[in-house]
Amino acid sequence: MARRPPSLLRRIVNYPLDWIEERSGLIGGVRYFLFRKVPHDTNWAHTLGSATLTAFIVQALTGAILAMYYRPDPGTAYESIQKITNELTLGWLVRGMHRWGASVFIILMFLHMGRVFLYGAYKYPRELNWVIGVLLLVLGLFEGLTGYLLPYDQTGYWATVVAININGTAPILGPFLVNLLNGGADFGPETLSRFYALHMLLVPGAIFALIGLHLYLVIRLGVSSPPWSDRPAGDAMPLPPPSRDGARAGLVRPGARRRVRS
Amino acid sequence: MEPHRPETPHTPPPSLWPVGFAVGVAVLLLGLIVGWGIVLLGALLTVGFGFLWVRDVVEGTPTAPAAPEPPPPQGIGAAPVPARQAEAALPAMDEEEIHRYPRNVFLEGATLGLGALIGGIVTVPALGFAVLPAFVDQEPQGSDLGPLENFPEGEWRVATFLEDPEHGEVSRRTAFVRHNGDLNGVPSFTIISNRCAHLGCPTQPQGSLNEEDSEEIEVEHGTVTLIPTNPSGFTCPCHGGAYSIEGNRTAGPPVRALDRYEFSIRDGHLWIGKAYSVGEVEGEGKDARIKKYHRFYPGEHVDGIQQILYPFPAPNL
Amino acid sequence: MARVDERRQAYASYKEDVQRRGKPFYPYAMFHDTVMSVVVVAVIVALACIWYFDSNEEPGEEGAGILGPRYTEKADPGTISFIPRPDWYFFFLFYLLRIFKWPESVILATIGVPTILLILLISLPFLDRRRERRPLRRPVAVVAGVLVMISMGVLTYKGGTVREALGATAAEIDTWFQRNNLPEEARPGAEFFAETCTQCHTYLGSGSANLGAPDLSAVGATGRNVEAFIQIMREGPGAMPSFATQPEENLRAIAVFLEASKGPGGG
Repeated sequence: MARRPPSLLRRIVNYPLDWIEERSGLIGGVRYFLFRKVPHDTNWAHTLGSATLTAFIVQALTGAILAMYYRPDPGTAYESIQKITNELTLGWLVRGMHRWGASVFIILMFLHMGRVFLYGAYKYPRELNWVIGVLLLVLGLFEGLTGYLLPYDQTGYWATVVAININGTAPILGPFLVNLLNGGADFGPETLSRFYALHMLLVPGAIFALIGLHLYLVIRLGVSSPPWSDRPAGDAMPLPPPSRDGARAGLVRPGARRRVRS
Repeated sequence: MEPHRPETPHTPPPSLWPVGFAVGVAVLLLGLIVGWGIVLLGALLTVGFGFLWVRDVVEGTPTAPAAPEPPPPQGIGAAPVPARQAEAALPAMDEEEIHRYPRNVFLEGATLGLGALIGGIVTVPALGFAVLPAFVDQEPQGSDLGPLENFPEGEWRVATFLEDPEHGEVSRRTAFVRHNGDLNGVPSFTIISNRCAHLGCPTQPQGSLNEEDSEEIEVEHGTVTLIPTNPSGFTCPCHGGAYSIEGNRTAGPPVRALDRYEFSIRDGHLWIGKAYSVGEVEGEGKDARIKKYHRFYPGEHVDGIQQILYPFPAPNL
Repeated sequence: MARVDERRQAYASYKEDVQRRGKPFYPYAMFHDTVMSVVVVAVIVALACIWYFDSNEEPGEEGAGILGPRYTEKADPGTISFIPRPDWYFFFLFYLLRIFKWPESVILATIGVPTILLILLISLPFLDRRRERRPLRRPVAVVAGVLVMISMGVLTYKGGTVREALGATAAEIDTWFQRNNLPEEARPGAEFFAETCTQCHTYLGSGSANLGAPDLSAVGATGRNVEAFIQIMREGPGAMPSFATQPEENLRAIAVFLEASKGPGGG
């Protein structure tokens, strides 16, 4: 061996990593994730996705803490929220972060979607990831809806009554949907705990799974360059001339492409 | 690889360092009871022997384990793995490999069938529990609104009561109650639910609400509140629905008239019964002719062309 | 070249290009991500702090700060005085329900429009299949996207500023007297008016313009006398219900108040 053996410190650090790598291949996966190439011209707009993920993680953590003190029962839910907010040490911060984190999460989901739309980043081969993203948006809004009821105050209660009844107007299935959401014919003693279970078990589980899939596809398919970049990644292949349909509709000037590279 | 196993050259020789480490930990724990000096001694022993042990383990094992596949793990900070290599983390399975064994139809069928069975066993009860209402066949027994004397003839009361006393406060509902005078020798009442027929918001009486004169009546199960009012109609604060004094829609999006409650007189008390949906009301007071339907949820048409969208009422409403 | 082959080849060239000219995700792109995440967490904490320290323990309006109260009153399924509103990100759906104000169209607002929007959103990559990504070369998609954003924004704004069908407060009644220069004998009528009529009518910015009910700030300037106003309230023209069951003296008081209302600077 011509190379000097690595220092002791380095080997002490590497040993557990190698141990894990040998038995799982996880370190290689993390290395691939960290050192994979992304287009040279990614910018701040590309951070909206990870920012959304951060907001979701904040929700998951603060939500888990709130769940330790919250009581999903119509008789005591409101009092437990009052106690969390006004009596527990830093309870106000946890609840405030969860409450406002929800708004931030939803705003970031919309901004992230707007970025993907503007960049045309939903096009081949990323169609499936767009669909997953839309499902995540719907589930995120559903989290907002189910969470709004949990303080069991007037706003939450009545917004939920209306939301459940909106489902009731679905043709044929409506009454059954209402029964499913209420856990009975009408808003009753089971409804709050049902919304609680949806809000903190079923829907977040689905969101976690879909985020995993979403990230897997992002890593596998790569990130799109900004379309107006000087030289976007993958620019070697010229675009076809603007379609005649577009030209006929007067929407695209024929032959007005900016650059053709070979 | 050699056919016979050599004298395990790869495993480190037995070492005393772990023993020293354990002694260090023991001394440290002892120190917690005895005194801080002992703690310090224990900590020193632990760290020292621990370091020696780790060094032994690290040096005694090759950094590149004899994994069948390249690349040998090099620890973090090394050059990135090329994309293709990491994507091929799962061994590629070609068609030939799959078909080397003859397909065993029985085993395949049995595996899939058993899987489906497990799925069914787990899903059906869960789904049934989720879809079916928690309380089946529990008709509300009705609710006592208190003595008849509290309802002077021709006057309106806003009554809040427990629709299903077993469920407690969560089943508190509000109705607008008017005593219409006697009809065929029995008192007649108009009892209109305050839940909007659009999407179930709480409608308000359009007219003065006499909250100073409100009464709280203790009945067998809970409290009934009666507030005198003098409405000219009812309005909904959500989406602008408006109703006449008989509950007919006059403006806005409600799809039918306000729901009503059945009632009965028992021992001089007014008892509220099941709620039902109303298409339209003709006439007024005790002479009203009500187009009565099974109770539907708000927003669901009971008459007109759109009733075909809602062929089934709620299974247990 | 077939379209499918072409886009496959374009994607292969993208992969190759990124491999050749791209930068490693860590630390170049991840630095931006981390900074942004710190900003997100800081904003969340800041909102929580402002919300908490600018409000007090009282529920509802009394305890509200600039970010609203900590909670409203405990849920009362039997209330007759509460105005339900959703969280802000559902305001656009909420206002949609107010736009479709005919019984026949309820299902469009509750199920129809949201379902169509969702289907369009999911099918976007299957409708827009060209390889072109520059916004200026995708006029249809970009115009549609901008229109959706504007309409969502407008609906959210309208939903957030909807006037509730609630009675006016005593303070508002005082400003009516100042601005409209009303005589003191109109006060009982103003109180009845504030309790009942503002559920549909507006008056100097109070009340809710519901069901097309006209603004009554200057209705006294139309030349009607007290008897004419009582007559209107009894009959209830158009969508307005009849108020004939109200006590005569209440109607007369309201009529006196309306007759005196000649608009700001008019009396």
